[in-house]
Amino acid sequence: MAIAEPLAGNAAAAWLASDSPTRPESYMQAARRRFMHSRVGLVALAVLLLLVVVSVAAPLLTPYDPSIGQPAARLRPIGSPGHIFGTDEQGRDMLTRILYGGRMSLIAGLAPVLVATVIGTILGSLSGFVGKWVAMLIMRTMDMFYAFPAVLLAIAISASLGPGLINQIIALSIIYIAPIARVAEAATRRIVVAEFIEAAKLTGAPTWKILFTQVLANIFSPIFVYSSGLVGLAIVTAASLSFLGLGVRPPTPEWGFMLNALRGTIYVNPWVAALPGFFIFATSISFNMLADSIRDSLDVKE
Amino acid sequence: MMPLVLRRLGMALPTLLGVTLVIWLLLSLLPGDPLAFLLPADATAVDRAKLATELGLDRPLPVRYVYWLFDVIRGEFGFSPFRHRDISELIQNAWKNTALLASFSAVFGLVTGITLGTLAGVYRGSAVDRFVTGFAIVGLSVPSFWVAILLLIVFSAQLRLLPAGGLSNWAEGPGHFFSHLAMPVLSGSMVSIAITARVTRASIAETFRAEFVDTLRAKGLREYQVLMHVAKNAVSPVLTTAGLQMGFLLGGSVLIETIFSWPGLGQLVFNAIAARDLRVVQATTVLIAVTFVLLNLFVDVLQMTFDPRQKRGV
Repeated sequence: MAIAEPLAGNAAAAWLASDSPTRPESYMQAARRRFMHSRVGLVALAVLLLLVVVSVAAPLLTPYDPSIGQPAARLRPIGSPGHIFGTDEQGRDMLTRILYGGRMSLIAGLAPVLVATVIGTILGSLSGFVGKWVAMLIMRTMDMFYAFPAVLLAIAISASLGPGLINQIIALSIIYIAPIARVAEAATRRIVVAEFIEAAKLTGAPTWKILFTQVLANIFSPIFVYSSGLVGLAIVTAASLSFLGLGVRPPTPEWGFMLNALRGTIYVNPWVAALPGFFIFATSISFNMLADSIRDSLDVKE
Repeated sequence: MMPLVLRRLGMALPTLLGVTLVIWLLLSLLPGDPLAFLLPADATAVDRAKLATELGLDRPLPVRYVYWLFDVIRGEFGFSPFRHRDISELIQNAWKNTALLASFSAVFGLVTGITLGTLAGVYRGSAVDRFVTGFAIVGLSVPSFWVAILLLIVFSAQLRLLPAGGLSNWAEGPGHFFSHLAMPVLSGSMVSIAITARVTRASIAETFRAEFVDTLRAKGLREYQVLMHVAKNAVSPVLTTAGLQMGFLLGGSVLIETIFSWPGLGQLVFNAIAARDLRVVQATTVLIAVTFVLLNLFVDVLQMTFDPRQKRGV
C-alpha cells in the first residue's frame, strides 16, 4: 500500500504530463535539500555532533578522572597549566568534568523527549482517530497536566520518586506527553477526513493498519517539528532538576549539578563557576536553532 | 458578560479538582514510606499503627483523598516535623514573598517584552528587528539559573554593587528594596521577555498586513495613530502567552529563590526536597498550581474584555 506523501500529488501529475526522464523530488528529498542550504541549521548540527563526540570520547581526550580530584590543586582559574578550564572545589579538572558531564546532560534532555514523543503520538493519534469516549478520556486527562507549571510538576514528580537519572527521565517524560499528545491529536483529526483514509476504510483495511501506515506517515512532520523544538527546553529543565539535586547522584558529573556545587566559589574563582552553565546554554540554543531549521525545511506552519 | 465569566469559572472547577488529584496521587501513592521520617528510630509496630490511624492512613484511598481535599480547602496542611511549624504558617509567609517577586518579574517581563516586540514589529527587517529576534532565541535557550549566577558574579562578586541575596522591606528605603529585587527579577523574567517579544513581534507584523491599516492610512491618520489601532488588535495572542509565562515564573521561582536566598515558596520547596519533607512539597505544589489556574482564568476574562469576538465564542 502506497504511503501518501503530502505535496507529492501535483508534482507527480506534472511529471506524468511531461516526458521528463527524471523522477520528481519527493517530500523528504525536498526537505533534505532545504536543510542542506540552511547555514544556521548546519552549524547547530555540527556543534551538537561535536559535543556528542567529545563527551563519548571523553576518556581518550583527558588523562584525569572525573570524580577524583587533587586537594592541593583546588579552585585553579581558567587557563592554568595542565587545567585549561581550571579545577573545581575538590581539585577535579573542569574540562574533564564538562566532557563527562555532557553525557548525562544530553541523555537527560534527549531521552524524555523521545519517550514522550512515542507515548504522546500513540495517545494523540488514537484519540484523534477513534474519537468518541476514547478521545474524551485521553484528552481530558491530558488537559489536567496543562494546569501545572511544567517545571513545578517535574520537580514534584522527581521529588516524590527520589533523585537519580531514571527518575529524572520519568518526571520529564510525563510533563512532555500532554503537549505532544495535543499536537498529534490535532494533526490526526485533520488527516482522518482525507479521502485516502476513507478509501482505505472502504477497502476493508483494519483500523490498526490504517493508523500505523496512513495516519502515522501523515502526522509525522508536525510531531517531529514540535518534539525537536522541545529538546532545547528539556535540556534546560533537566539541568534545573539536577541543579536542585534531583538528577544524577554525585560524584557523577552533570552540568546542572556542577553549577550548583560551584555556586559557593563565585567570590574566589568566578569564571570557572560559570562554565557548566555556558555549556547548558550552548547545547540548548543549538538544539533550538536546529529545530527552527528543521521546521523551515519540513515546511510545517506553526 | 457576567454569565460568561461564571461559565468560565465553572470550567475551572474540574481543572482544580484534577490538579489536586494529580498532586495527591503523586505524593501519596508513589513508593516510599510516608511514616519513615515521622517516627522515632525505636518505634514499635504499635506506635506505627497508632500514627497511621492518627494521620488517617488506614482509610481507603478515595476517602483519604476527600479528607485531604477538605483539609486543603480549610488551609490545614498538617505539621512539618523538620521545621517544627504548622505547614500553613510556613506557606503563608512564603506566599507573600513569592507573590512580590513574581509580580515584579511578570510586570518587568511583559513591559520589556512588549516594548522590544513592538519595536521589532514596526521596524521589520531593521537592525532593531534583528537584535530583538536574536535576543529572543537567546532568552528562550538560556537557563535562568545560569543568568542568575552570571549576574551574581558580575554585580555582586566583581563590582560589589548589589547584595547577593535576601529580602528587603519597603520600610528600609526604595534603594535598598530595589537593589535586592534587581537580580532575581532580571534573571527570572528572561524567558518572559523572550516569549513576549517574539509573540508581540509576530502579532504586530501580522496585524500591519491587515486591510484596515491601509484604510486608516488612506484616511490620513498619523503613523503613531495607526500603531494604536494595530496594537489594540494585536494584543490577544500576547495575553494568551502571558498566562503561560506565569507558569515559567512560578516554576522557575524554585531555582531563582534558592540562588538569591529569597524566602518564598520556591525556597521552601527546595529545602523540603532536600529534607524529603513531602507534605511541605505537596502543600506548596498545590498552592502554586491553584494560583496558576486562577491566574489563567483571570487572563481569559481579561482577554474577553479586549477581544469581543471571544465573548461569542468559548
